[in-house]
Amino acid sequence: MSLTRRRFSAATASSLGLAASGLARPAIAQTEPVRIGWMGALTGPLSAPSIGFDRGTKWAVERINAAGGIKGHKVEIVARDTQGDPTKAVNATQELIARQKVHAIWGPPNSGESLATTPIMARSRTPNLHPCVVNSLIDPEKYPNAFRLAPSNTQWDDAVRAYCLDILKVKEVAIFGDSTGYGTSAVKDSVAGFTRDNAKIVYSGVIDPNQSDVTPDLLRMRDAGAKVLVCWSVTTGLNSRVMNARAAVGWDVPIVGHPALGTGEVGKLVDKPSNWANVYMVGYRSCSFGADGKLPPRSQDFVDTLKGKVELADTVLWWVAIAVDAIDLIGKAVAETGSTEPDAFIGHWNSLNRYPGLFGDYTFSPRQHNGYPTDEVVMSAANSQRDGAYALAPGYT
Amino acid sequence: MLASILASGLAIGAVYALIGITYNTMFTASRVMSFTAGQLGMLGGVFGALFILRLGLPSVLGFVATLAGCAAVGVVTEVIAVRPVLARLDQHLYVLSTLALALMIQQITAIEWSTEPQPFPRIFGIGNGGPLDEKFWLPLVACGMVAIGLEFLYRRTLIGRAFLAISEDNFAARALGLPERNLRMASFALAGMIGGIAGFSSGELLLAFFANGAMLNFYGFIPVALGGLGNNRGTVIGGLALGLFQQAANFTFGGVFASVAVFAVFIVVLLAAPQGLFGVTVARRV
Repeated sequence: MSLTRRRFSAATASSLGLAASGLARPAIAQTEPVRIGWMGALTGPLSAPSIGFDRGTKWAVERINAAGGIKGHKVEIVARDTQGDPTKAVNATQELIARQKVHAIWGPPNSGESLATTPIMARSRTPNLHPCVVNSLIDPEKYPNAFRLAPSNTQWDDAVRAYCLDILKVKEVAIFGDSTGYGTSAVKDSVAGFTRDNAKIVYSGVIDPNQSDVTPDLLRMRDAGAKVLVCWSVTTGLNSRVMNARAAVGWDVPIVGHPALGTGEVGKLVDKPSNWANVYMVGYRSCSFGADGKLPPRSQDFVDTLKGKVELADTVLWWVAIAVDAIDLIGKAVAETGSTEPDAFIGHWNSLNRYPGLFGDYTFSPRQHNGYPTDEVVMSAANSQRDGAYALAPGYT
Repeated sequence: MLASILASGLAIGAVYALIGITYNTMFTASRVMSFTAGQLGMLGGVFGALFILRLGLPSVLGFVATLAGCAAVGVVTEVIAVRPVLARLDQHLYVLSTLALALMIQQITAIEWSTEPQPFPRIFGIGNGGPLDEKFWLPLVACGMVAIGLEFLYRRTLIGRAFLAISEDNFAARALGLPERNLRMASFALAGMIGGIAGFSSGELLLAFFANGAMLNFYGFIPVALGGLGNNRGTVIGGLALGLFQQAANFTFGGVFASVAVFAVFIVVLLAAPQGLFGVTVARRV
């Protein structure tokens, strides 16, 4: 084979390409720590989930460092309190990227904050893991650096619909939410999903979260022939009023919907504990007690490990578990690629197929950054919280 | 269904009426529309839950302590937000000062109390959540007693007549030797207690929640406008009508559309009778 100018150019280009691909992943310096930015609403009215995430984050980092770090590299957390304020979250993101030069960011866990910070992280290609549910936060074309560890709103919706139609086997559905932006859009999405599955929507609407008595709304749903109430409200006041009004009119219809149906605050506001029965909220198989009263083995081992070290009674198990998964996923990316470059993280996460985390088995690809498996999203009995976990709703095996 | 609409409509209407009376009581003494009226209602619920549920006081003592706390807030309103602007009443500075104080009260309550609704204790334990439950008739009884009590105060007692005197013409009242400033403070303390009664009696209905203040400010103002500024009887009728209409609209149209229906009717009424349904058109000297 004679050496022509064209072949020489092609060979030179491919050699340079190979060399460049090798150079694109410089090995991390031996003394350099892996710096992870973590931001959440650690104080203020929206702090409950972030406090749970924070416990998991700290525990995971301590565990890794106690075991010698990631191939000798210590993990360093740079935490920032956003107080649930998108403006503070934006400032924290810019500081973490530009000044602190973190290698990856975990959070923020609030969708409102994440909507503001995701484009900023995308501009600098900072690898980002978050647990936010709003659908538009994941778009591998626009945000190739952003990966979701929790289910999306669509997956919540799918789980609620599957429970109503396949397990409760009811077709006549009343769908309502609070009149916040979230409640309004969630009701709209839910109505579209049920309509697609040929359910009969007998009522849909939003209710002012401060409405003092929801009996008229409930009577409308009952008179319309509803066999199940689907609730998309984050307001504990409205959720508990619906349960109290349901008891007052003597209507034992199941209520199915948002995880806020199961918060401890609702338990304080129901007139009688029995008013909280027959209420089912979005939950997760990995963090649910089965009919035998036990967690899945992997989760039980985790809970046993945490005993005496991390308080679970006043928080939710999945908040802690998902934070441990986030730190582990960042650590594994460094361990597997030997690099802290953004492309190394992103390439590694894109290759994961049913990676066994504590919260769930994550699968990502270059086209799909919603990593949580839909079949892990289940319904839980809202009044059954124990050590941060809930019992599976009736009907699951 | 009718019983349910009547019970909850009259109950919430009575709360709006009581907040309207709170507005009126502060207005008659100072010619100031104080936007702390709704916050006094909110504090009535929060103080009640604080004293009875958290501090464990008996209901009667808790009620008295709630009234004292709300009266103190009323006096603070007069000193901080009203007195400094009285000299420039024509510039409507009170809108800013009372609104600022109302926001401060709301934020402090959110920080110190809770941002989530908190339970309010059962006072008598009568009823099981149905239309005859105490949470529905307590506000109604409270509203009736306050309206009758104020009629008695203003018509049969010397201090009540003194309140009326400074509301009619405070310069003339001062010329007659009436202690105008002390009477105004007493009037704000009385308004605080009425707001406290509104919040306490509706605590089981509205819960002890910091965000109730803004809602009560808003809906409590409507009966004042409907009934005529300073007219307590008109305010009671306007409040009850508003509550009934609101709950009927909730049933007929659903939550958010109900608010639209309420305000549509409100605007129509004010277009037809700008002085309110029971207000008197005042002749203007030209």
